[in-house]
Amino acid sequence: MIGFGGGRFDRRQVFKGTGAAVALTALGGWPLPAVAADRVRAGITGYSVINTLDPGKATLIPEYYVLWGLYNGLLAFDEKMNVVSDLAEGFAAVDGGALEFKLRSGVKFHDGSVLSADDVKFSFERLLDEKFASPNRSKLAEVDRIEIVDPLTVRIHTKRAFAPLLTFLTNARTGTQILPHKAVKEMGDEKFGRTPIGTGPYRLQEWNANQGLVLAAHEGYFRGAPRLKTIEVPLITEESSGVTALLGGQIDLTSTAPFADVPQLEKNKAIKVLKQPGLNTRFISLNLRKAPFDDVHFRRAVSMAFQREAMVRAVLFGEGVVTNGVLPPALGPFHDPKPRDVTTFNAERARAELAKSKYKAKDQKFAVVTWGSGWWKRIAEVFVAQVNATLGTQLTVEVTDPNAAYARQKSGDFLASVWGWTGFVDADEYLYDILHSKGWRNFGGYSNPEADKLIEASSRELDVAKRAAICRQAEALVMEEAPVIACFCSNIHNLLSAKVDGFVQKPYGNYGDQFPMLTVA
Amino acid sequence: MSLSAVDRFLPAVFSGRRWALPPTLRYVFGRILGALLVLLIGAFIVFLTMKAAPGDPSLSALGEQAPPEAIAAFRLQHGLDQPVITQFASWLGQIAHGDFGNSLVVASGRPISNLILSRLPTTAFVGLYALTIAVLSSLVLGTVAAVWRGKMADMVATSIAVLGISMPDFFLAYMLILGLALGLGLFPSYGFVAPGDSLLGALHASFLPALAIAAPMAAVFARTLRAALLEVIRQPYVTTARSFGLSRAFTFLHFIFRNALIPYVTIVGLQVRYVLGGVVVIERIFGIPGIGSLMVDAAFGRDYPLVQACMVTFLAIVLLVNLLVDIACTGLDPRRSR
Repeated sequence: MIGFGGGRFDRRQVFKGTGAAVALTALGGWPLPAVAADRVRAGITGYSVINTLDPGKATLIPEYYVLWGLYNGLLAFDEKMNVVSDLAEGFAAVDGGALEFKLRSGVKFHDGSVLSADDVKFSFERLLDEKFASPNRSKLAEVDRIEIVDPLTVRIHTKRAFAPLLTFLTNARTGTQILPHKAVKEMGDEKFGRTPIGTGPYRLQEWNANQGLVLAAHEGYFRGAPRLKTIEVPLITEESSGVTALLGGQIDLTSTAPFADVPQLEKNKAIKVLKQPGLNTRFISLNLRKAPFDDVHFRRAVSMAFQREAMVRAVLFGEGVVTNGVLPPALGPFHDPKPRDVTTFNAERARAELAKSKYKAKDQKFAVVTWGSGWWKRIAEVFVAQVNATLGTQLTVEVTDPNAAYARQKSGDFLASVWGWTGFVDADEYLYDILHSKGWRNFGGYSNPEADKLIEASSRELDVAKRAAICRQAEALVMEEAPVIACFCSNIHNLLSAKVDGFVQKPYGNYGDQFPMLTVA
Repeated sequence: MSLSAVDRFLPAVFSGRRWALPPTLRYVFGRILGALLVLLIGAFIVFLTMKAAPGDPSLSALGEQAPPEAIAAFRLQHGLDQPVITQFASWLGQIAHGDFGNSLVVASGRPISNLILSRLPTTAFVGLYALTIAVLSSLVLGTVAAVWRGKMADMVATSIAVLGISMPDFFLAYMLILGLALGLGLFPSYGFVAPGDSLLGALHASFLPALAIAAPMAAVFARTLRAALLEVIRQPYVTTARSFGLSRAFTFLHFIFRNALIPYVTIVGLQVRYVLGGVVVIERIFGIPGIGSLMVDAAFGRDYPLVQACMVTFLAIVLLVNLLVDIACTGLDPRRSR
């Protein structure tokens, strides 16, 4: 059947291969599937680059996957996304609006040094230092100063009430993980990023750029030494290769899964599929500075011109839910589940809206930018086909690669582009960053002073229920103007070999933090 | 400009009277100069292509949330704010000193020469493995098809060859994984074992990727060999040899096969660039830490100097192989060797 030499050549080679395998198994030196009980191979799938393991400099998802196992934050998320203690035993608001954190005593870094309030102060001030130019600086931008009360007590004074602060102090995609002051000073920032030292359950043992990492158990971990002594973390660029590697027994778990494979993988008894709606948002990013998207009627027409349910089926194979805005369902009270007319398919309403626009459908021949060959490309294809059919436009799809697409988002060299964000834990990272006129993810140049005021007010409101209500109000106001075309929120997945247990998945796509929880049968 | 055009052009340039070197030396000298020129032109084209592509290494290296100051500092530090020609010139200057520079994105800050040196043996192993499979299988298939031409054996061998040519290597790779790795469990579906750690382990682990790269080549080789054999079989000197009473086998081996090997070896040499092309795709599918996957990741991350270094390495290999093939063909040609 397959390829060359389906006859004699193939068979001979196959037998040769089997012979070799048998011989080697007999010798006992065979580096194959069997999982030793004290090590696990946790593949990072879909990524090939880790630039740094310094939380102050980290931005990429695979960097965080590893960071979460090397460091701790003051706080953490439990599986229900409640903020719980981590390095801080507890916290309380004190007079004057500051937050006071009591640190656990006797927490040790990988180099044996003991955690103190000074390390916390140092870590946060380093993030705030403009010269350090941390990509995560905005997480602490509202912090005024950090005060050491005693070696195990630290106070954070903010410039004004700042509701997202607690979520930004968790061991998530935040960069606020705690570093050892002395070690960072001795090594310098550059070196520290390559030979990181944290308080986490694992320490970095080996790092082969572009290939993978090996983590070793931190025997002095404050929750007790992890059971699994070694975690191998190969970087597997192709998501589909991650699946075959798992099925073939070359790895034990993956950080993601290709949507198309999920329905079939769920039927496979040799593996477990963990999934839930993720903290992410996928939309068509529009350039509001250029025609035709400078016209609100045209944007609204497009938004009503395609069926999001069909997109979820065709693109995600059902692995997601349609959205009516940018706040994903996993944000709980911040998400408004009520359908909106403007994000619901209705051909008549779409055409009526188009009639109000100063632009004619037949003149619209621009390309929707996307990249790759997988689901990102299909989003654009499904979108373009439906919008053309409904409105009579002649949109096309332009396929590029992620780096180019991102560069074009930043430079404004696009009219419409598939886009999305994932792993953000606070409503502010979605609302403010994407839709506020000063938000740094607001690539389309949307500006609505009324919405700006509401979004700002939401981050000053410390009562969760009240804050959520303001956020929903702001989102409703904004979405009526369709500054982005909301599409869907996708499920997150982890694939586990049936032998592996203990992984608890969280909506932001956690990974390294679960390494100490794993057990291997 | 094709490689061979430059190869042929240069020796002619240096064959003037002022270059009265011995012919062999002149030939070698011309070949090396030609190769260097091709390298230079190739490097420049790749450099321009990479620069023309939208995107920016700082976006990959510093991540999506990098503040503008950090991006500006990055561009300044790596000379990315300079005109393209200046950048190319300074890159050339570096290369002249044997320095490939440091990786910008894929292995940020680490020396590229170390990366290439650590990856080259892996790619060389998989490439040679694939070439060996392709050569061995095509020798058998091509000969079978020619000797029993028009018979069932010919049809089977030719059909296999057509299938091999028409099947893309990445598709074949997934089929092999599905059938031989996941289905029958004979081979690992992912990963690499270094030959230095275990030679048998390496041969076993890399069999599927090598086979996926080898299949399209083997098909071309087999068809070439079959055509060449049939061509030679019809030559009058073969009939003459047989009429002198030389045995079928002797005639085949010494008169037919040897002469048919010349086009065959030439094709094998030319196809080496397809090994490198195959390696780029297949390494990614099987997670083999070679130069191919390195180059792809470098291109996606806009790691300009790393792409350049990988390209120069690949081009150097192709030119070297071309040279070796020419030498081999000279050796094989009975008229030249006598």
